[in-house]
Amino acid sequence: MLEVRNVSKAFFPHTINEKVALRDISLKLASGDFVTVIGSNGAGKSTLLNVVAGRYRPDIGTVWIDGSDVTKLPDHKVAQQVGRVFQDPMAGTAPHLTIEENLAIAWARNRKRRLRLGVTRQRRDVFREELKILELGLEDRLTARVGLLSGGQRQALSLVMAAFTQPRILLLDEHTAALDPQRAALITRLTEELVTRHELTALMVTHNMEQALALGNRLIMMHEGRIIFELGGEAKHQASVGDLLAEFDKFRGSGGLSDRTLLG
Amino acid sequence: MTAALDLGLIFGLMALGVYLTFRILDFADLTIDGSFTTGAATAAILLVGGWPPLAATAVGGCVGLVAGLVTGLLNTWGKIHPLLAGILTQIALYSINLRIMGRANVPLLRTETLFTPLREAGLLGTFVSVAILAGLLALFVIALVWFLSTDVGLALRATGDNEGMARAQGINTDLMKCLGLSLSNGMVALSGALFAQYQGSADIGMGIGLIIAGLASVIIGTAIINNGRLWITAIAVVAGSIVYRLIIQAALSIPWFNPNDMKLLSALIVIVALLLPRWDVFNRIRARSREKQFVVEPWDTPDPEELDSGDARPPSQGVTKKAGRKNNA
Repeated sequence: MLEVRNVSKAFFPHTINEKVALRDISLKLASGDFVTVIGSNGAGKSTLLNVVAGRYRPDIGTVWIDGSDVTKLPDHKVAQQVGRVFQDPMAGTAPHLTIEENLAIAWARNRKRRLRLGVTRQRRDVFREELKILELGLEDRLTARVGLLSGGQRQALSLVMAAFTQPRILLLDEHTAALDPQRAALITRLTEELVTRHELTALMVTHNMEQALALGNRLIMMHEGRIIFELGGEAKHQASVGDLLAEFDKFRGSGGLSDRTLLG
Repeated sequence: MTAALDLGLIFGLMALGVYLTFRILDFADLTIDGSFTTGAATAAILLVGGWPPLAATAVGGCVGLVAGLVTGLLNTWGKIHPLLAGILTQIALYSINLRIMGRANVPLLRTETLFTPLREAGLLGTFVSVAILAGLLALFVIALVWFLSTDVGLALRATGDNEGMARAQGINTDLMKCLGLSLSNGMVALSGALFAQYQGSADIGMGIGLIIAGLASVIIGTAIINNGRLWITAIAVVAGSIVYRLIIQAALSIPWFNPNDMKLLSALIVIVALLLPRWDVFNRIRARSREKQFVVEPWDTPDPEELDSGDARPPSQGVTKKAGRKNNA
Protein backbone atom coordinates (compact mmCIF):
# COMPACT_ATOMS: atom_id res chain seq x y z
CA MET A 1 0.00 0.00 0.00
CA LEU A 2 2.73 2.42 1.06
CA GLU A 3 6.33 2.05 0.11
CA VAL A 4 9.19 4.34 1.00
CA ARG A 5 12.29 3.45 -1.04
CA ASN A 6 15.76 4.55 0.02
CA VAL A 7 14.65 8.02 1.05
CA SER A 8 17.13 10.56 2.34
CA LYS A 9 16.34 14.09 3.35
CA ALA A 10 18.59 16.83 4.70
CA PHE A 11 17.62 20.32 5.82
CA PHE A 12 19.88 23.27 5.01
CA PRO A 13 22.12 21.07 2.84
CA HIS A 14 25.72 22.14 2.19
CA THR A 15 25.67 24.67 5.01
CA ILE A 16 27.15 24.61 8.47
CA ASN A 17 23.64 23.99 9.81
CA GLU A 18 23.07 20.92 7.70
CA LYS A 19 20.78 18.50 9.48
CA VAL A 20 20.25 15.08 8.01
CA ALA A 21 16.74 14.05 9.01
CA LEU A 22 16.38 10.81 7.06
CA ARG A 23 19.22 8.50 6.00
CA ASP A 24 18.38 5.96 3.36
CA ILE A 25 15.07 4.93 4.89
CA SER A 26 13.07 2.09 3.39
CA LEU A 27 9.69 1.05 4.71
CA LYS A 28 6.87 -1.00 3.34
CA LEU A 29 3.31 -1.10 4.65
CA ALA A 30 0.93 -3.80 3.48
CA SER A 31 -2.74 -2.99 3.20
CA GLY A 32 -4.24 -2.92 6.69
CA ASP A 33 -0.93 -2.44 8.48
CA PHE A 34 -0.98 -0.11 11.47
CA VAL A 35 2.58 0.92 12.22
CA THR A 36 3.59 2.95 15.25
CA VAL A 37 6.81 4.96 15.08
CA ILE A 38 8.83 5.88 18.15
CA GLY A 39 12.19 7.55 18.59
CA SER A 40 13.91 10.42 20.31
CA ASN A 41 13.54 14.05 19.30
CA GLY A 42 15.18 14.73 15.96
CA ALA A 43 15.09 11.07 14.96
CA GLY A 44 13.25 11.98 11.76
CA LYS A 45 9.80 10.62 12.63
CA SER A 46 7.87 13.72 11.67
CA THR A 47 10.04 14.24 8.61
CA LEU A 48 9.17 10.73 7.49
CA LEU A 49 5.47 11.52 7.78
CA ASN A 50 5.89 14.81 5.97
CA VAL A 51 7.77 13.10 3.16
CA VAL A 52 4.96 10.57 2.78
CA ALA A 53 2.39 13.39 2.81
CA GLY A 54 4.23 15.25 0.06
CA ARG A 55 4.93 18.18 2.36
CA TYR A 56 8.69 17.68 1.96
CA ARG A 57 10.31 16.34 -1.16
CA PRO A 58 13.04 13.77 -0.46
CA ASP A 59 16.57 14.52 -1.71
CA ILE A 60 16.98 10.93 -2.84
CA GLY A 61 14.52 8.05 -3.03
CA THR A 62 10.87 7.63 -3.91
CA VAL A 63 7.51 7.26 -2.18
CA TRP A 64 4.86 4.95 -3.62
CA ILE A 65 1.23 4.81 -2.63
CA ASP A 66 -0.86 1.96 -3.96
CA GLY A 67 1.61 1.27 -6.76
CA SER A 68 2.00 4.82 -8.05
CA ASP A 69 4.95 7.14 -7.54
CA VAL A 70 3.83 10.17 -5.54
CA THR A 71 7.30 11.55 -4.78
CA LYS A 72 6.92 14.62 -6.96
CA LEU A 73 3.24 15.35 -6.39
CA PRO A 74 2.33 18.52 -4.46
CA ASP A 75 0.96 17.87 -0.97
CA HIS A 76 -2.64 18.72 -1.85
CA LYS A 77 -2.60 16.08 -4.58
CA VAL A 78 -1.18 13.45 -2.23
CA ALA A 79 -3.83 14.45 0.30
CA GLN A 80 -6.50 12.94 -1.95
CA GLN A 81 -5.25 9.53 -0.85
CA VAL A 82 -3.86 10.41 2.56
CA GLY A 83 -5.62 11.48 5.76
CA ARG A 84 -3.62 13.44 8.31
CA VAL A 85 -4.03 14.37 11.95
CA PHE A 86 -1.55 16.81 13.43
CA GLN A 87 -0.18 17.27 16.92
CA ASP A 88 -1.80 20.69 17.29
CA PRO A 89 -5.57 20.20 17.75
CA MET A 90 -6.10 23.59 16.06
CA ALA A 91 -4.24 22.54 12.91
CA GLY A 92 -6.68 20.02 11.51
CA THR A 93 -9.91 22.03 11.38
CA ALA A 94 -11.14 25.41 10.16
CA PRO A 95 -12.30 27.33 13.27
CA HIS A 96 -14.73 29.75 11.61
CA LEU A 97 -16.59 27.06 9.73
CA THR A 98 -19.21 24.84 11.29
CA ILE A 99 -18.73 21.18 12.14
CA GLU A 100 -20.75 20.09 9.12
CA GLU A 101 -18.86 22.46 6.82
CA ASN A 102 -15.55 21.06 8.04
CA LEU A 103 -16.81 17.55 7.43
CA ALA A 104 -18.03 18.54 3.96
CA ILE A 105 -14.54 19.81 3.12
CA ALA A 106 -13.04 16.52 4.24
CA TRP A 107 -15.76 14.58 2.42
CA ALA A 108 -14.71 16.21 -0.87
CA ARG A 109 -11.03 15.38 -0.30
CA ASN A 110 -10.86 12.48 -2.72
CA ARG A 111 -13.64 13.75 -4.96
CA LYS A 112 -13.91 16.52 -7.50
CA ARG A 113 -15.00 19.78 -5.91
CA ARG A 114 -17.86 21.21 -7.94
CA LEU A 115 -20.37 24.01 -7.70
CA ARG A 116 -22.76 21.91 -5.66
CA LEU A 117 -23.94 22.61 -2.15
CA GLY A 118 -21.36 21.28 0.28
CA VAL A 119 -23.82 20.34 3.02
CA THR A 120 -26.86 18.46 1.77
CA ARG A 121 -29.40 16.45 3.75
CA GLN A 122 -27.90 13.19 2.53
CA ARG A 123 -24.40 14.18 3.52
CA ARG A 124 -25.62 15.48 6.85
CA ASP A 125 -26.95 12.02 7.63
CA VAL A 126 -23.58 10.52 6.83
CA PHE A 127 -21.83 13.10 9.01
CA ARG A 128 -24.19 12.41 11.90
CA GLU A 129 -23.52 8.68 11.65
CA GLU A 130 -19.77 9.23 11.68
CA LEU A 131 -19.88 11.63 14.62
CA LYS A 132 -21.98 9.23 16.68
CA ILE A 133 -18.98 6.93 16.96
CA LEU A 134 -17.20 9.62 18.96
CA GLU A 135 -19.92 9.62 21.62
CA LEU A 136 -19.26 13.28 22.26
CA GLY A 137 -22.65 14.57 21.23
CA LEU A 138 -21.14 16.44 18.28
CA GLU A 139 -23.76 14.93 15.98
CA ASP A 140 -26.31 17.24 17.61
CA ARG A 141 -24.14 20.31 17.11
CA LEU A 142 -23.51 20.13 13.37
CA THR A 143 -24.05 23.85 12.89
CA ALA A 144 -21.78 24.92 15.77
CA ARG A 145 -18.59 26.63 14.79
CA VAL A 146 -15.52 24.48 15.31
CA GLY A 147 -13.70 27.33 17.06
CA LEU A 148 -16.13 26.86 19.97
CA LEU A 149 -15.01 23.28 20.56
CA SER A 150 -12.36 22.24 23.05
CA GLY A 151 -8.99 20.92 21.93
CA GLY A 152 -9.99 17.32 22.52
CA GLN A 153 -13.22 17.69 20.60
CA ARG A 154 -11.41 19.36 17.71
CA GLN A 155 -8.86 16.56 17.65
CA ALA A 156 -11.64 13.97 17.64
CA LEU A 157 -13.26 15.81 14.75
CA SER A 158 -9.91 15.97 12.90
CA LEU A 159 -9.63 12.24 13.33
CA VAL A 160 -13.05 11.61 11.84
CA MET A 161 -12.28 14.02 9.00
CA ALA A 162 -9.04 12.22 8.24
CA ALA A 163 -10.53 8.74 8.43
CA PHE A 164 -14.09 8.74 7.09
CA THR A 165 -13.17 9.22 3.43
CA GLN A 166 -11.29 5.93 3.71
CA PRO A 167 -7.89 7.22 2.62
CA ARG A 168 -5.31 4.72 1.47
CA ILE A 169 -2.98 5.93 4.21
CA LEU A 170 -3.72 7.56 7.56
CA LEU A 171 -0.87 9.63 9.01
CA LEU A 172 -0.99 10.48 12.70
CA ASP A 173 1.69 12.83 13.97
CA GLU A 174 1.75 12.68 17.79
CA HIS A 175 -1.91 13.49 17.64
CA THR A 176 -2.51 12.86 21.34
CA ALA A 177 0.57 14.68 22.62
CA ALA A 178 -1.09 18.07 23.19
CA LEU A 179 -4.02 16.67 25.17
CA ASP A 180 -4.43 15.92 28.86
CA PRO A 181 -4.28 12.20 29.80
CA GLN A 182 -8.06 11.73 29.84
CA ARG A 183 -8.61 13.20 26.36
CA ALA A 184 -5.48 11.49 25.07
CA ALA A 185 -6.89 8.13 26.17
CA LEU A 186 -10.15 8.94 24.45
CA ILE A 187 -8.44 9.93 21.20
CA THR A 188 -6.31 6.79 21.35
CA ARG A 189 -9.42 4.65 21.72
CA LEU A 190 -11.14 6.48 18.87
CA THR A 191 -8.08 6.05 16.66
CA GLU A 192 -8.22 2.31 17.14
CA GLU A 193 -11.97 2.22 16.48
CA LEU A 194 -11.80 4.32 13.34
CA VAL A 195 -8.84 2.43 11.89
CA THR A 196 -10.69 -0.84 12.41
CA ARG A 197 -14.01 0.50 11.16
CA HIS A 198 -12.59 1.89 7.93
CA GLU A 199 -9.93 -0.81 7.54
CA LEU A 200 -7.19 1.78 7.21
CA THR A 201 -3.48 1.49 6.68
CA ALA A 202 -1.93 3.80 9.24
CA LEU A 203 1.40 5.27 10.27
CA MET A 204 1.43 6.82 13.72
CA VAL A 205 4.22 8.77 15.38
CA THR A 206 4.13 8.86 19.16
CA HIS A 207 6.31 9.64 22.14
CA ASN A 208 4.26 7.41 24.36
CA MET A 209 5.78 3.92 24.33
CA GLU A 210 2.83 2.27 26.00
CA GLN A 211 0.60 3.70 23.30
CA ALA A 212 3.04 2.54 20.63
CA LEU A 213 2.87 -0.99 22.02
CA ALA A 214 -0.88 -0.99 22.58
CA LEU A 215 -1.85 0.21 19.12
CA GLY A 216 -1.17 -1.33 15.74
CA ASN A 217 0.39 -4.54 14.51
CA ARG A 218 3.91 -3.25 13.89
CA LEU A 219 6.31 -0.93 15.63
CA ILE A 220 9.43 0.77 14.35
CA MET A 221 12.02 2.67 16.30
CA MET A 222 13.97 5.48 14.67
CA HIS A 223 17.23 7.08 15.65
CA GLU A 224 19.18 9.77 13.83
CA GLY A 225 17.34 9.31 10.59
CA ARG A 226 17.47 5.52 10.50
CA ILE A 227 15.11 2.73 11.40
CA ILE A 228 17.07 0.90 14.08
CA PHE A 229 14.59 -1.64 15.31
CA GLU A 230 11.36 -3.21 14.22
CA LEU A 231 8.77 -5.32 16.00
CA GLY A 232 5.82 -7.10 14.50
CA GLY A 233 3.09 -9.60 15.22
CA GLU A 234 3.44 -11.76 18.31
CA ALA A 235 6.77 -10.23 19.35
CA LYS A 236 5.11 -6.81 19.54
CA HIS A 237 2.29 -8.18 21.68
CA GLN A 238 4.70 -9.52 24.24
CA ALA A 239 7.17 -6.65 24.31
CA SER A 240 7.21 -4.26 27.23
CA VAL A 241 8.35 -0.68 27.60
CA GLY A 242 11.47 -2.03 29.30
CA ASP A 243 12.32 -4.13 26.24
CA LEU A 244 12.04 -1.07 24.04
CA LEU A 245 14.28 0.98 26.30
CA ALA A 246 16.87 -1.80 26.38
CA GLU A 247 16.79 -1.94 22.61
CA PHE A 248 17.15 1.80 22.42
CA ASP A 249 20.15 1.80 24.76
CA LYS A 250 22.10 -0.27 22.27
CA PHE A 251 22.02 2.56 19.82
CA ARG A 252 22.29 5.46 22.17
CA GLY A 253 24.91 7.98 21.22
CA SER A 254 27.86 8.38 23.55
CA GLY A 255 28.00 11.29 25.96
CA GLY A 256 25.89 14.37 26.26
CA LEU A 257 22.25 14.32 27.16
CA SER A 258 20.89 10.80 27.24
CA ASP A 259 18.36 10.22 24.53
CA ARG A 260 16.71 7.77 26.83
CA THR A 261 15.60 10.62 29.03
CA LEU A 262 14.03 12.27 26.02
CA LEU A 263 12.40 9.09 24.86
CA GLY A 264 10.94 8.25 28.24
CA MET B 1 -30.58 60.70 1.65
CA THR B 2 -31.75 58.52 -1.24
CA ALA B 3 -28.63 59.49 -3.18
CA ALA B 4 -26.57 58.13 -0.30
CA LEU B 5 -28.64 54.94 -0.43
CA ASP B 6 -28.00 54.62 -4.17
CA LEU B 7 -24.28 55.12 -3.67
CA GLY B 8 -24.22 52.85 -0.65
CA LEU B 9 -25.75 50.06 -2.71
CA ILE B 10 -23.49 50.58 -5.74
CA PHE B 11 -20.45 50.61 -3.47
CA GLY B 12 -21.98 47.74 -1.55
CA LEU B 13 -21.01 45.50 -4.45
CA MET B 14 -17.43 46.69 -4.03
CA ALA B 15 -17.70 46.08 -0.28
CA LEU B 16 -18.81 42.48 -0.94
CA GLY B 17 -15.66 42.06 -3.02
CA VAL B 18 -13.52 43.43 -0.20
CA TYR B 19 -15.33 41.14 2.24
CA LEU B 20 -14.47 38.15 0.05
CA THR B 21 -10.73 38.85 0.08
CA PHE B 22 -10.29 40.63 3.40
CA ARG B 23 -12.43 38.41 5.62
CA ILE B 24 -13.08 35.15 3.77
CA LEU B 25 -9.69 34.73 2.10
CA ASP B 26 -7.77 36.68 4.78
CA PHE B 27 -5.90 38.50 2.02
CA ALA B 28 -5.45 42.28 2.26
CA ASP B 29 -5.93 43.02 -1.42
CA LEU B 30 -5.03 46.53 -2.55
CA THR B 31 -5.70 45.79 -6.20
CA ILE B 32 -9.21 47.15 -5.91
CA ASP B 33 -8.12 50.81 -6.03
CA GLY B 34 -7.02 50.08 -9.57
CA SER B 35 -9.57 47.50 -10.67
CA PHE B 36 -12.51 49.72 -9.67
CA THR B 37 -11.28 52.37 -12.11
CA THR B 38 -10.50 49.71 -14.72
CA GLY B 39 -14.11 48.53 -14.62
CA ALA B 40 -15.33 52.11 -14.89
CA ALA B 41 -12.91 53.02 -17.68
CA THR B 42 -13.67 49.92 -19.74
CA ALA B 43 -17.42 50.35 -19.44
CA ALA B 44 -17.20 54.08 -20.19
CA ILE B 45 -15.06 53.73 -23.30
CA LEU B 46 -17.29 50.94 -24.63
CA LEU B 47 -20.41 53.02 -23.97
CA VAL B 48 -18.92 55.97 -25.80
CA GLY B 49 -18.14 53.55 -28.62
CA GLY B 50 -21.82 52.71 -28.83
CA TRP B 51 -21.95 49.36 -27.03
CA PRO B 52 -25.22 48.39 -25.37
CA PRO B 53 -25.03 49.39 -21.67
CA LEU B 54 -25.51 45.87 -20.29
CA ALA B 55 -22.69 44.41 -22.40
CA ALA B 56 -20.35 47.31 -21.63
CA THR B 57 -20.97 46.89 -17.89
CA ALA B 58 -20.41 43.14 -18.09
CA VAL B 59 -17.13 43.55 -19.96
CA GLY B 60 -16.05 46.09 -17.35
CA GLY B 61 -16.62 43.46 -14.68
CA CYS B 62 -14.74 40.80 -16.63
CA VAL B 63 -11.65 43.00 -16.93
CA GLY B 64 -11.70 43.13 -13.13
CA LEU B 65 -11.61 39.33 -13.02
CA VAL B 66 -8.36 39.43 -14.98
CA ALA B 67 -6.87 42.13 -12.75
CA GLY B 68 -7.60 40.00 -9.68
CA LEU B 69 -6.08 36.98 -11.35
CA VAL B 70 -2.85 38.90 -11.96
CA THR B 71 -2.56 39.73 -8.25
CA GLY B 72 -3.35 36.11 -7.43
CA LEU B 73 -0.62 34.81 -9.72
CA LEU B 74 1.91 37.32 -8.39
CA ASN B 75 1.17 36.10 -4.87
CA THR B 76 0.92 32.35 -5.42
CA TRP B 77 3.13 31.64 -8.40
CA GLY B 78 5.52 34.55 -7.83
CA LYS B 79 5.49 34.17 -4.02
CA ILE B 80 5.17 37.93 -3.61
CA HIS B 81 3.75 39.25 -0.34
CA PRO B 82 -0.02 39.87 -0.61
CA LEU B 83 0.23 43.60 0.10
CA LEU B 84 3.01 44.10 -2.42
CA ALA B 85 1.31 41.95 -5.05
CA GLY B 86 -1.82 44.09 -4.72
CA ILE B 87 0.07 47.37 -4.89
CA LEU B 88 2.04 46.23 -7.94
CA THR B 89 -1.12 45.38 -9.86
CA GLN B 90 -2.78 48.55 -8.66
CA ILE B 91 0.02 50.80 -9.87
CA ALA B 92 0.27 48.94 -13.17
CA LEU B 93 -3.46 49.38 -13.63
CA TYR B 94 -3.10 53.14 -13.28
CA SER B 95 -1.24 53.29 -16.60
CA ILE B 96 -3.50 50.68 -18.15
CA ASN B 97 -6.56 52.69 -17.14
CA LEU B 98 -5.13 55.77 -18.84
CA ARG B 99 -4.45 53.65 -21.93
CA ILE B 100 -8.01 52.36 -21.92
CA MET B 101 -9.54 55.81 -21.59
CA GLY B 102 -6.93 57.64 -23.65
CA ARG B 103 -7.26 60.58 -21.25
CA ALA B 104 -7.89 61.19 -17.57
CA ASN B 105 -11.65 61.59 -17.81
CA VAL B 106 -14.39 60.17 -20.00
CA PRO B 107 -17.75 61.96 -19.66
CA LEU B 108 -20.89 59.90 -20.23
CA LEU B 109 -23.44 62.67 -20.03
CA ARG B 110 -24.93 62.29 -23.48
CA THR B 111 -24.29 58.59 -23.75
CA GLU B 112 -26.90 55.90 -23.29
CA THR B 113 -26.10 54.12 -19.98
CA LEU B 114 -27.84 51.63 -17.71
CA PHE B 115 -29.20 54.56 -15.72
CA THR B 116 -30.43 56.64 -18.69
CA PRO B 117 -34.02 55.34 -18.54
CA LEU B 118 -34.19 56.14 -14.82
CA ARG B 119 -32.57 59.52 -15.24
CA GLU B 120 -34.92 60.53 -18.06
CA ALA B 121 -37.93 59.47 -16.04
CA GLY B 122 -36.57 61.55 -13.17
CA LEU B 123 -36.41 58.49 -10.93
CA LEU B 124 -32.67 58.52 -10.18
CA GLY B 125 -32.08 59.27 -6.51
CA THR B 126 -35.65 58.30 -5.64
CA PHE B 127 -36.92 55.19 -3.94
CA VAL B 128 -37.45 53.57 -7.33
CA SER B 129 -33.73 53.57 -8.11
CA VAL B 130 -32.99 52.48 -4.55
CA ALA B 131 -35.38 49.55 -4.89
CA ILE B 132 -33.88 48.49 -8.22
CA LEU B 133 -30.33 48.66 -6.89
CA ALA B 134 -31.36 46.87 -3.70
CA GLY B 135 -32.84 44.09 -5.85
CA LEU B 136 -29.58 43.85 -7.81
CA LEU B 137 -27.54 43.69 -4.62
CA ALA B 138 -29.86 41.04 -3.20
CA LEU B 139 -29.12 38.91 -6.26
CA PHE B 140 -25.39 39.30 -5.70
CA VAL B 141 -25.66 38.49 -2.00
CA ILE B 142 -27.65 35.34 -2.79
CA ALA B 143 -25.20 34.31 -5.51
CA LEU B 144 -22.18 34.94 -3.26
CA VAL B 145 -23.62 33.09 -0.27
CA TRP B 146 -24.67 30.19 -2.48
CA PHE B 147 -21.21 30.04 -4.03
CA LEU B 148 -19.53 30.07 -0.62
CA SER B 149 -21.75 27.14 0.44
CA THR B 150 -20.73 24.92 -2.47
CA ASP B 151 -17.84 22.48 -2.34
CA VAL B 152 -15.66 25.00 -4.18
CA GLY B 153 -16.80 27.84 -1.93
CA LEU B 154 -16.08 25.82 1.21
CA ALA B 155 -12.61 25.08 -0.14
CA LEU B 156 -12.12 28.82 -0.64
CA ARG B 157 -13.23 29.55 2.92
CA ALA B 158 -11.00 26.83 4.34
CA THR B 159 -8.07 28.35 2.45
CA GLY B 160 -8.62 31.65 4.22
CA ASP B 161 -9.41 30.12 7.60
CA ASN B 162 -6.66 27.53 7.96
CA GLU B 163 -4.39 27.10 4.96
CA GLY B 164 -2.48 24.13 6.37
CA MET B 165 -5.75 22.29 7.01
CA ALA B 166 -6.98 23.18 3.52
CA ARG B 167 -3.91 21.65 1.88
CA ALA B 168 -4.16 18.56 4.07
CA GLN B 169 -7.74 18.23 2.83
CA GLY B 170 -6.56 18.14 -0.76
CA ILE B 171 -7.39 21.75 -1.59
CA ASN B 172 -5.20 23.55 -4.08
CA THR B 173 -4.91 26.71 -2.00
CA ASP B 174 -3.05 28.63 -4.72
CA LEU B 175 -5.89 28.03 -7.12
CA MET B 176 -8.42 29.10 -4.49
CA LYS B 177 -6.57 32.35 -3.82
CA CYS B 178 -6.52 33.16 -7.53
CA LEU B 179 -10.21 32.33 -7.78
CA GLY B 180 -11.14 34.43 -4.76
CA LEU B 181 -9.09 37.44 -5.85
CA SER B 182 -10.48 37.17 -9.33
CA LEU B 183 -14.10 37.07 -8.19
CA SER B 184 -13.52 39.86 -5.72
CA ASN B 185 -11.99 42.18 -8.27
CA GLY B 186 -14.69 41.26 -10.76
CA MET B 187 -17.31 42.52 -8.31
CA VAL B 188 -15.26 45.63 -7.58
CA ALA B 189 -14.87 46.40 -11.30
CA LEU B 190 -18.57 45.85 -11.85
CA SER B 191 -19.24 48.27 -9.02
CA GLY B 192 -16.90 50.75 -10.74
CA ALA B 193 -18.70 50.31 -14.07
CA LEU B 194 -22.03 51.02 -12.36
CA PHE B 195 -20.69 53.99 -10.47
CA ALA B 196 -19.25 55.61 -13.62
CA GLN B 197 -22.64 55.37 -15.27
CA TYR B 198 -24.38 56.65 -12.16
CA GLN B 199 -22.22 59.75 -11.79
CA GLY B 200 -21.92 60.25 -15.57
CA SER B 201 -18.18 59.94 -16.02
CA ALA B 202 -15.16 57.72 -15.53
CA ASP B 203 -12.18 59.38 -13.93
CA ILE B 204 -8.62 58.17 -13.42
CA GLY B 205 -8.70 59.13 -9.74
CA MET B 206 -12.03 57.59 -8.82
CA GLY B 207 -10.54 54.49 -7.23
CA ILE B 208 -7.97 56.18 -5.00
CA GLY B 209 -8.37 55.15 -1.37
CA LEU B 210 -11.32 52.94 -2.22
CA ILE B 211 -9.94 50.11 -0.09
CA ILE B 212 -10.66 52.35 2.92
CA ALA B 213 -14.33 52.64 1.95
CA GLY B 214 -14.43 48.88 1.45
CA LEU B 215 -12.81 48.14 4.80
CA ALA B 216 -15.05 50.66 6.53
CA SER B 217 -18.12 48.95 5.11
CA VAL B 218 -16.93 45.51 6.21
CA ILE B 219 -15.93 46.69 9.68
CA ILE B 220 -19.06 48.80 10.28
CA GLY B 221 -21.26 46.04 8.91
CA THR B 222 -19.78 43.30 11.06
CA ALA B 223 -19.81 45.61 14.07
CA ILE B 224 -23.56 46.16 13.71
CA ILE B 225 -24.53 42.53 13.29
CA ASN B 226 -22.19 39.62 13.74
CA ASN B 227 -23.58 36.23 14.50
CA GLY B 228 -21.22 34.40 12.19
CA ARG B 229 -23.91 33.37 9.73
CA LEU B 230 -22.67 33.87 6.21
CA TRP B 231 -25.71 35.44 4.61
CA ILE B 232 -26.31 37.74 7.56
CA THR B 233 -22.72 38.93 7.38
CA ALA B 234 -23.02 39.51 3.63
CA ILE B 235 -26.14 41.63 4.14
CA ALA B 236 -24.42 43.41 7.02
CA VAL B 237 -21.53 44.34 4.73
CA VAL B 238 -23.91 45.95 2.24
CA ALA B 239 -25.65 47.69 5.14
CA GLY B 240 -22.22 48.83 6.33
CA SER B 241 -21.59 50.38 2.94
CA ILE B 242 -24.86 52.32 3.17
CA VAL B 243 -24.11 53.47 6.72
CA TYR B 244 -20.67 54.58 5.59
CA ARG B 245 -22.15 56.71 2.78
CA LEU B 246 -24.67 58.20 5.18
CA ILE B 247 -21.93 59.13 7.65
CA ILE B 248 -19.89 60.72 4.85
CA GLN B 249 -22.91 62.64 3.62
CA ALA B 250 -23.79 63.80 7.11
CA ALA B 251 -20.22 64.93 7.73
CA LEU B 252 -20.05 66.82 4.43
CA SER B 253 -23.25 68.67 5.30
CA ILE B 254 -21.38 70.33 8.16
CA PRO B 255 -20.57 73.77 6.68
CA TRP B 256 -16.89 73.74 7.56
CA PHE B 257 -16.14 70.59 5.52
CA ASN B 258 -15.82 70.58 1.75
CA PRO B 259 -15.79 67.60 -0.66
CA ASN B 260 -11.98 67.60 -0.68
CA ASP B 261 -12.05 66.49 2.95
CA MET B 262 -13.74 63.23 2.02
CA LYS B 263 -10.61 61.10 2.09
CA LEU B 264 -9.67 62.48 5.51
CA LEU B 265 -13.17 61.74 6.76
CA SER B 266 -13.13 58.20 5.40
CA ALA B 267 -9.79 57.52 7.09
CA LEU B 268 -11.17 58.87 10.37
CA ILE B 269 -14.27 56.71 10.09
CA VAL B 270 -12.18 53.58 9.65
CA ILE B 271 -9.91 54.51 12.56
CA VAL B 272 -12.90 55.04 14.83
CA ALA B 273 -14.53 51.82 13.62
CA LEU B 274 -11.31 49.94 14.37
CA LEU B 275 -10.75 51.46 17.81
CA LEU B 276 -14.31 51.49 19.14
CA PRO B 277 -14.59 47.72 19.66
CA ARG B 278 -11.52 47.83 21.93
CA TRP B 279 -13.12 50.15 24.40
CA ASP B 280 -14.34 48.68 27.62
CA VAL B 281 -18.04 49.36 27.15
CA PHE B 282 -18.13 47.38 23.94
CA ASN B 283 -16.08 44.56 25.40
CA ARG B 284 -18.55 44.20 28.21
CA ILE B 285 -21.48 44.02 25.80
CA ARG B 286 -19.66 41.35 23.82
CA ALA B 287 -18.79 39.34 26.89
CA ARG B 288 -22.42 39.36 27.87
CA SER B 289 -23.58 38.11 24.50
CA ARG B 290 -20.90 35.43 24.60
CA GLU B 291 -22.17 34.23 27.94
CA LYS B 292 -25.57 33.74 26.40
CA GLN B 293 -24.05 31.43 23.83
CA PHE B 294 -22.39 29.33 26.50
CA VAL B 295 -23.21 25.66 26.18
CA VAL B 296 -22.23 22.86 28.52
CA GLU B 297 -19.92 20.49 26.77
CA PRO B 298 -20.59 16.80 27.12
CA TRP B 299 -17.29 16.10 28.77
CA ASP B 300 -17.47 18.96 31.20
CA THR B 301 -19.65 16.63 33.22
CA PRO B 302 -17.73 13.46 34.09
CA ASP B 303 -19.55 10.30 33.10
CA PRO B 304 -19.98 7.42 35.60
CA GLU B 305 -17.08 5.49 34.10
CA GLU B 306 -14.67 8.31 34.79
CA LEU B 307 -15.99 8.67 38.32
CA ASP B 308 -15.31 4.99 38.91
CA SER B 309 -11.75 5.28 37.74
CA GLY B 310 -11.17 8.01 40.27
CA ASP B 311 -9.93 10.28 37.53
CA ALA B 312 -12.84 12.65 37.70
CA ARG B 313 -11.59 16.12 38.32
CA PRO B 314 -13.98 18.98 38.71
CA PRO B 315 -14.72 20.31 35.25
CA SER B 316 -13.33 23.71 36.13
CA GLN B 317 -9.84 22.20 36.35
CA GLY B 318 -9.97 20.69 32.90
CA VAL B 319 -7.32 21.84 30.48
CA THR B 320 -9.89 22.92 27.97
CA LYS B 321 -11.48 26.10 29.12
CA LYS B 322 -13.65 28.29 27.04
CA ALA B 323 -12.97 31.98 26.79
CA GLY B 324 -16.46 32.83 27.91
CA ARG B 325 -16.05 30.85 31.11
CA LYS B 326 -13.86 33.49 32.70
CA ASN B 327 -16.80 35.82 32.95
CA ASN B 328 -18.70 33.37 35.10
CA ALA B 329 -15.96 32.97 37.65
